[in-house]
Amino acid sequence: MAVRFAGALKELRIHLCQTNQQSAGVRDFIQKYYVGLKKENPKFPILIRECSGVQPRVWARYDRGSEKSASLTNLSSNDVLSTIKQLVK
Amino acid sequence: MCLVEIEGMWKPQIACAMPVAKNMKIRTNSEVAYKAQESVLEFLLTDHPLDCPICDQGGECDLQDLSMKFGSDRTRFTDIHFEGKRAVENKNLGPLIRTEMTRCIHCTRCIRFASQVCGLDVLGTAGRGGEMLVGTYVDKMFLSELSGNIIDLCPVGALTNKPYMFKARPWEINRANSIDVTDATGTNISVNYRFNRVLRVLPRENEEVNQEWLSDKGRWSIDSLDIQRLVTPMYKCNDCLVATEWDIVLKMVSKQLKCTKPFDIMAIAGPYCNAETLVATKDLLNVLGSEHTYIERNVDYSEAVVDIRASYSLNICMKNIALSDKILLVGTNPRFEAPVLNARIRQAYMFNECDVYVIGPKCEYNYHVEYVGQSVKDLSNAKKYLQNAKSPLIFVGIDQLQTPNAVTLMRELIRISNSLKKSSDWKVLNILPKEASFAGALEAGWKPGGLKAIQSLKPRVILSLGADDVFRQWSPPKDCTVIYIGFQGDSGAACASIILPGSAYTEAGGTFLNMECRSQYAQPAVSPPGKARYDWKIIRAIAEYCQICLFYTDPDSICRRLAQISPNFVSCGTCQKRLFEDLIPQLLANDSSDCVGQPFDVCMKKLKEYYCSDIYTSNSPTMVKAQKAVMKMEKSPYCHV
Repeated sequence: MAVRFAGALKELRIHLCQTNQQSAGVRDFIQKYYVGLKKENPKFPILIRECSGVQPRVWARYDRGSEKSASLTNLSSNDVLSTIKQLVK
Repeated sequence: MCLVEIEGMWKPQIACAMPVAKNMKIRTNSEVAYKAQESVLEFLLTDHPLDCPICDQGGECDLQDLSMKFGSDRTRFTDIHFEGKRAVENKNLGPLIRTEMTRCIHCTRCIRFASQVCGLDVLGTAGRGGEMLVGTYVDKMFLSELSGNIIDLCPVGALTNKPYMFKARPWEINRANSIDVTDATGTNISVNYRFNRVLRVLPRENEEVNQEWLSDKGRWSIDSLDIQRLVTPMYKCNDCLVATEWDIVLKMVSKQLKCTKPFDIMAIAGPYCNAETLVATKDLLNVLGSEHTYIERNVDYSEAVVDIRASYSLNICMKNIALSDKILLVGTNPRFEAPVLNARIRQAYMFNECDVYVIGPKCEYNYHVEYVGQSVKDLSNAKKYLQNAKSPLIFVGIDQLQTPNAVTLMRELIRISNSLKKSSDWKVLNILPKEASFAGALEAGWKPGGLKAIQSLKPRVILSLGADDVFRQWSPPKDCTVIYIGFQGDSGAACASIILPGSAYTEAGGTFLNMECRSQYAQPAVSPPGKARYDWKIIRAIAEYCQICLFYTDPDSICRRLAQISPNFVSCGTCQKRLFEDLIPQLLANDSSDCVGQPFDVCMKKLKEYYCSDIYTSNSPTMVKAQKAVMKMEKSPYCHV
């Protein structure tokens, strides 16, 4: 599952809720993949910003401040990973 | 005053001293109760001077309110022709609190506050009945980090605010709900102002954060904002700072930013930035192509420090600290680093029989502590003290995470906290930051370790958002331009080539995250002095001059941007539950330390070090006076009585 965050991508921000069912996949994803991703991409900011009651969403910031986001509502942990892979490209 | 009529008892009873029983019938508004209360009030008033017109409490006095409600309209006090009114000598409680003991009605609130909350047995009573006096037994000042609160507690004008003496009446004052920035607790305050000047600061009740207390620094350091301000844009010309207009400096800044390679631009955030400024600055730098946004503090024990909130904040809700039964303080003195949080620790100590253990140097704590060591080496020793606790807590001072021992320290502490039995939502390990901007900056994605970054990156342009400490340890080389945006300007402004005057928290307000990462909004009170502007609007203007489009122009739109960065910024007042703290140990950095035996050091060990601990507070004449008073009292023979 090697994902290299390189090139134009500068930062990932993951918004999720601590308890909501819609965010369950994202929580799962972080438990499963975060440490691995971080070890492969040291110094790359993956900001995990939990806040109760929010829709899970991932924001990707690229070079020169342009941003893209994708909803993660009701996605499973593997779907979350593939969404993020999409954003990396 | 609390006399009530209880059915079956022929005398009115004192409600606050009466145990409640079943089927008790109590009348609080019967004829008898009213009459009794009125008589008590009459007694209180015979012993109370008629100096309301010159009393600072006038207008917010409980006794005044009661007299208005059911005071008698004419006096039966005839003693004035014989012995005169009661008069009591004033006490000297220090440079912050003014006493007028003749006005005292002996409610003993100040005494109880001092002994229960401050842990300071300075005040007491002497004599009984009509002869009773409240005061210090010996000539001793009331010096505590929470001393200002006895002014708010005092129902009459016996204890009043000395720096605020005779300045204003409560009905002339405007109030703005704000957040204190002198420490990281996010104390809720109400800024009282009139004619565009801040006159005083009062605490605002928030049961979850500061209860109803406010630290002395937050209350009295405001006079630092009247003096020592940057009021006009300036640029350096032949080693001299020249005052100029906004248009000129903004053009200079934008030229500087556009002519520099993006990776040579860097921003450093100081201790008082609000979230709006932090987010706008980071956006500006990112659009320019730079990723170098740093805060002054260095916290890098783990790869996950910026990513996971649990790695840099107070993970327990502040109000739950009072429920703890064993507390370990590692290289920190919360009494001066976070006075209102310390009040919770003291609450746990007083009412929950909490034991407090300390690893670190000898400090002035206001509860009994057991010193169990000096350095990282003693941690394994400390474990046994927490073993049997039901709800243990560990507090680590942020200063310790800057030392080379940080990784070893945190690894050991995580191991200890994991080995302790506790319920799943009780977070044992807590970090105590000291700056109001710390949590907000990390939340927005700023990186820790400004000084280290400057030394390794060697930037050509540094944007300093009120950062001064870095420039004490490092002075910029010739080819480096420092642009300073701030309200006071110390060493950071001294070495700056361009100075842009920003605003203080009383002027700009904004969103602040406290040490629990609880987001709170401060309302602006007064307008910035001279040509000073709101910090985030300065950044916005710089972007405009650089022909960069930032998609926000007003408070509403920047608020939407804050929500895009982190929804927590805009969910005001809630303390977010922590997740994923179990991932932190897997990402700990490598141990690089070979000096684990080095003892911890704490910046503020004693009260005299508390008042003037940073630039903002050392610029305040009141705080300097308070510091001098403490030093004077240390020489007094009664100091340790």
